[in-house]
Parts: sequence; structure tokens; C-alpha cells
Amino acid sequence: MLIRVKMIANYRDALPPGHKHGVIELDVPDGTTVYDAVSQFDIPLNDESVIVLNGLTVEMNTPLKEGDTVTAFSAIAGG
Amino acid sequence: MYGWHLKILRVNLTTRNVTTENVDPKIARDYLGGRGWAIHYMYKDMDPTVEPLSPENMLIFATGPLTATPAPTGNRYMVVTKSPLTGALAHSNSGGEFPTWMKRTGFDMFIFEGKASEPVYVLVNEDQVEVRSAAHVWGKDVHETTDILKAEISEDARVACIGPAGENLALMAAIMNDKHRAAARSGVGAVMGSKNLKAVVAMGNKNPPLHDAEGMRSISVATSKNVGADVKKGSNMRIYGTSYVPQVTNTLGILPTRNFLQGTFEHVHNVDGDALKDNYLIRHTPCYRCPLSCGRLTEVPDGPYKGKGEGPEYETISSLGTGCGVSNLAALVKANYLCNEYGMDTITTGMTIAVAMEMYEKGYISEDVIGMPLKFGDHDAMIEMIKLMAYNKGFGQDLAQGSYRLAEKYGHPELAVTTRKQEFPGYDPRGSQGMGLLYATSNKGASHMEGDVAYEEVFGVPVKENPHSTEGKPELVKHFQDSFALIDSSGLCVFVAIRYVFDKNRMIWPETLASMMNLTTGAGYTPAEVMKAADRVYTLERMFLIKAGSGPEWDVLPDRMTKEPLPDGPAKGMVAELDKMLPEFYEKRGWDAKGYPTIEKLMELELPTG
Repeated sequence: MLIRVKMIANYRDALPPGHKHGVIELDVPDGTTVYDAVSQFDIPLNDESVIVLNGLTVEMNTPLKEGDTVTAFSAIAGG
Repeated sequence: MYGWHLKILRVNLTTRNVTTENVDPKIARDYLGGRGWAIHYMYKDMDPTVEPLSPENMLIFATGPLTATPAPTGNRYMVVTKSPLTGALAHSNSGGEFPTWMKRTGFDMFIFEGKASEPVYVLVNEDQVEVRSAAHVWGKDVHETTDILKAEISEDARVACIGPAGENLALMAAIMNDKHRAAARSGVGAVMGSKNLKAVVAMGNKNPPLHDAEGMRSISVATSKNVGADVKKGSNMRIYGTSYVPQVTNTLGILPTRNFLQGTFEHVHNVDGDALKDNYLIRHTPCYRCPLSCGRLTEVPDGPYKGKGEGPEYETISSLGTGCGVSNLAALVKANYLCNEYGMDTITTGMTIAVAMEMYEKGYISEDVIGMPLKFGDHDAMIEMIKLMAYNKGFGQDLAQGSYRLAEKYGHPELAVTTRKQEFPGYDPRGSQGMGLLYATSNKGASHMEGDVAYEEVFGVPVKENPHSTEGKPELVKHFQDSFALIDSSGLCVFVAIRYVFDKNRMIWPETLASMMNLTTGAGYTPAEVMKAADRVYTLERMFLIKAGSGPEWDVLPDRMTKEPLPDGPAKGMVAELDKMLPEFYEKRGWDAKGYPTIEKLMELELPTG
């Protein structure tokens, strides 16, 4: 199934070249979780990152569905 | 005494009488400094019902004990007064260099009272305090004024001043310091303009000794190292300032778009931090001795929006940009430069124009009244409105009153997205519930800078909270309100304080800050005492509001937030559920069911009960 991974600001550096505005599309097997989707990229998978599914706060073991977007950004600072 | 000078400068602009006062050490300790000292003196010395633009209003500049110390970001000051925009309190925080220079004059706080008979500026060079004519800079913008005053006094001086917006009493006028830094919100610049006070110039070499200079140096170096480690890892703040935030809030569906008609902006990529970095960023520009360095010098090199200055920051992008549906980044950057030069709060400026745009599109205000079409997304019209507001010309006279009065005048008050008549900042509370409670109960009207729970709901600092949930938010908002009162009183900047000075366990946050306060002042605070002092400050401000006529009846959100569900994005279908949180919030604050501090609470905090 196709899903999208979006990285914001400095996390874009973790994406391979060719992404558009920090978004890449991935073809992943059924059962792939939020954690699986982001763990292949070099970003901290602890409380230094905020990771949301379709803009919503979820558990990292939440399974993905076709068309989902997982977004990650640094929790380092505020606005 | 250490850390504090325990000295206040009081300037009566009517009589031009200048006096100095000593501060009782117990008052100094109990009210911390900065914002805390300011409300103590305002509550004691001023009738809360005074007209904000009358000579009777007090305009206070206040540093904290950590201002001008080695503490990372110990470079802030507060401007405190009664707001002409809200009728409530104004307390606006700014950094740069002026606050440190102000502390080095040998005074912790300046109080300006009365009204000068003609434009003046005040020079404070240690014990040399002069009220001088400002006839030659009246009418000049912030940059020109700063350059002229520094050239005639000293390059070693630092200047805080108003631009044309403050002179013309626009209710979104800011007080700018070091050209680009703003004590922005609630119309503090209009109060300064109403006193015919164009500028305050500070210089000197008097710093109070620190109680334990070596201990302070060590804790400051350790904290700065933590900041440095994040910068090495590629801290967003160093690279982008806050301009990376539109992508975050757009992802969560809480990015104010077209006067909050939407929570996502289809052209966000055109106005985000990467677009700014790729096109106009020159370099980062820190406040004095700041290891984080989130300010950025930018330039639009050519074309109709040619200019050079600092920013824009997130709050400018979400107001003058997405709030107005504007996607032309060069025009948005130019609009930000103009606001800095005219001395204007970009949030109220942008969101007032956004309301006018909605009213124009709905046919409530005609093209004849405005003088031109004013559709969402029309960046040239947006820039023209800023000029009209600053100079109080044409339709700008209506805009200069802020969105609440604008919408009311033209018969549609429901379109103004405000609390206590102040415009919302860049987090739609329908998808960030804690922010809704914060806006509704803030002592300065809608503001993120009075307890920004978006740190947790949006940014995950120090822990991640679900923004859609109301559970636990009353206690969280109370804790953040007190924490921000503490930071504003201490002289630090929230960006470093929240991330680097506080522990991840909220309950022990104040320990590091309490240590810094103790090493600086020798006051021997426990963490609990520091937080109690912050509660005291917040509660006394609430008492001021009640007496000023901006009490619990104003703890409300506009219908757009509570009755119109968000139409798009992850928070689609949601409204702000203030009713679910407000009673528990009052209880957590020690206020009664109607929102008044109880006698028991006032006595616990050793506050006046009358």
C-alpha cells in the first residue's frame, strides 16, 4: 500500500533527494506501523521528536492504512 | 543586595520631575522582578479604571533579576501598562540589547507617568536622567529615530522607541527596541504615544553584583552547553527562528487561515521557513549573549518589495500571511519590515486586516469605504492597509482600532476572533483545546505568551499532550500561566527557559530557575516559593482586571471557536470546548465558581483582600 512520510524543517535532511516539500511516498506492506514508517530514517525516535498520523496524536504501534501520512518534526523548540 | 538594584526611576512627564525610589527587599523577593514588580506598583499606585490613553496611566519598563546576568537569554525586559486595545493589562516582553543596557543604568525599573506637553525622549545614563525634546524625531520611523538618537548621544546607547503608529495612537502600536525587537502586543506603543514620549535611551555600566558569581557562571555555562548541543544537532530555532512552525500547525490543522475560516492553508509551502531560508535569509542575529540565536536578518534584494530587516517570525506569517490568505512571500516579508519600521504588532495588524477582508468579501464593507478591493490573498492591498493604519488615514482609522471595534462598527462583531478584544495568535483552539482555555483566561487577552501550552500540545516540549483532549488542561494551563509569569518576572526568554532551564518532569521545573535566582540575588528561594510568587503575580493581575472591568465576564471565546466547527484538516468538525474546562480551571487557580479569587487564596498569597 502507498503511504506518505513528511519531514518538517531540519528533519528533511533525513529524506533521500528528490522529495517535494519534505514529502515522499512509500510502498509498504500491510501491517506497517507508524514506528516502522519513520524508523527507516535517521531521526531520533524518542521524546526529541513529535510524530503524528494524519495530524493526530497516536501510539507508535498504530497500523497504517492506504493513503496515510506520517509526519515527524523536532520537539526541540516552540513557536 | 545582590541581583536587583532595588532602585526605580520615576519620571513624571507632565512636570518633568524625576525621582528615584528604593524598593523594599521583601517586595522585591515576593514579586520577583519584571512583570511581578510592575503589577505590584500599578496595583498600588494607579486606579485600575483610568483611561488607558490618559496621562493617569502608568507606563512601566521592567527588567528582572536575571537580566544582564550570564544566564542564557538573560536579556529581556517587560513593558507593562493598562492596554488601550483591551482595557485589561498589557505586559509585553522583548529581548535584543536594550534590556541589558537598561539594567546597566543602575535602575531595575522605569515608571513613566503623566503626559509631556510636546514630544520628548528620556535619556537615562546612570544618574544623568534628562527629558529632552524629540521634535526632530517625531514623525520619523523606528529605524530613523534609532539612528538619529544614537548618533547624537552615543553609539554605546540603546534605544527603545515608537514609530508613526504609536504617535498616531493606533491600538496595535508596539514599542520597538534595537530597531527590530518588539514589545508588541496590546497597544503599548499607543500608551507611549499618548504621553508624547517618543523614545527611551539607556546607557551605563552599573550592574548589581551577583550573590555567587562563580556558581552563576557554572550553571549558565552548563545550560549554554545544552543549547549548543542542540544547535550542533541542527536546532530548528537557529536555522529557521520560528518560521518553521507553519508546517507544523498546518499538519495539525490549526494554522489560522483566512480569519480562521480554515485550519489549513493550501499554499503553506510558499510562506514557510524553507521558502524563507532558500530565498531571503542572510544570517542569524542573536539577542545579547543568546546561545540560541533565533533572530534572522533577511533581505528581499529587488522588485517591488525590496527591503532588508529581521524576520518574519511564525506569528507574522500566520497573521499577515495565512490569516489574510496571502501566499506571496516577498510581500509578506515586506509587510513585516513595514510593521517594524512603523512600530506595529504584526498579530493584531494582520488579523484586523483579515477581518476586514472577510467583511469585504461578505459585502459588509464596501469598496467605497475601504478605497479599494480587499479580498483574501491580495497582498498589495494588505500592504496598503498597513500604511493607512500606521498613519491613521482613510479606512486606516477604522483598522487602527483593532478587529473587535472594526467588526462592531460595521455590524458584525461575530467576525472578530478575539478575547478581551485582542486578536488570537497562531494556534486555532478548536484543534488545540488548552490554547482555547489559555486565550479565554489570559490577563492580557488572547496571547500565546502568557502560558503557551502549545509547547506541549503542538511541539511536545517538555512532554507531548494530545491537543484535542480537554483532560488535564485546566491544571496544565494554570501551571504554564504561572511558569510564564515567573519567566517574565525573572528576565529570561521563554524559548530557552522552557526547553533548557526546566526539567522534563513539570513538577520540578522551577528548580533550575530557582537556583539561578538564588545565585543571582541570594534570596534563598525554594522552588515552591518561586512558584508561589508566580501565582501571586498572576492572581494580583487578575484582581487588577476585575477592578478594571475586564473580569470573569470576559473569560469567553468567540462564537467562531465554540459554535463553528473547523471545516478542514485533522481537527475537522471540532469546536473549542471551553465550558468543559473553565470550572475546573477556576478551582485549580483557587478562584470561586464565578471566577473571582477567594479570600482564602488572597490570604494564602499575602495579597490585599480589599
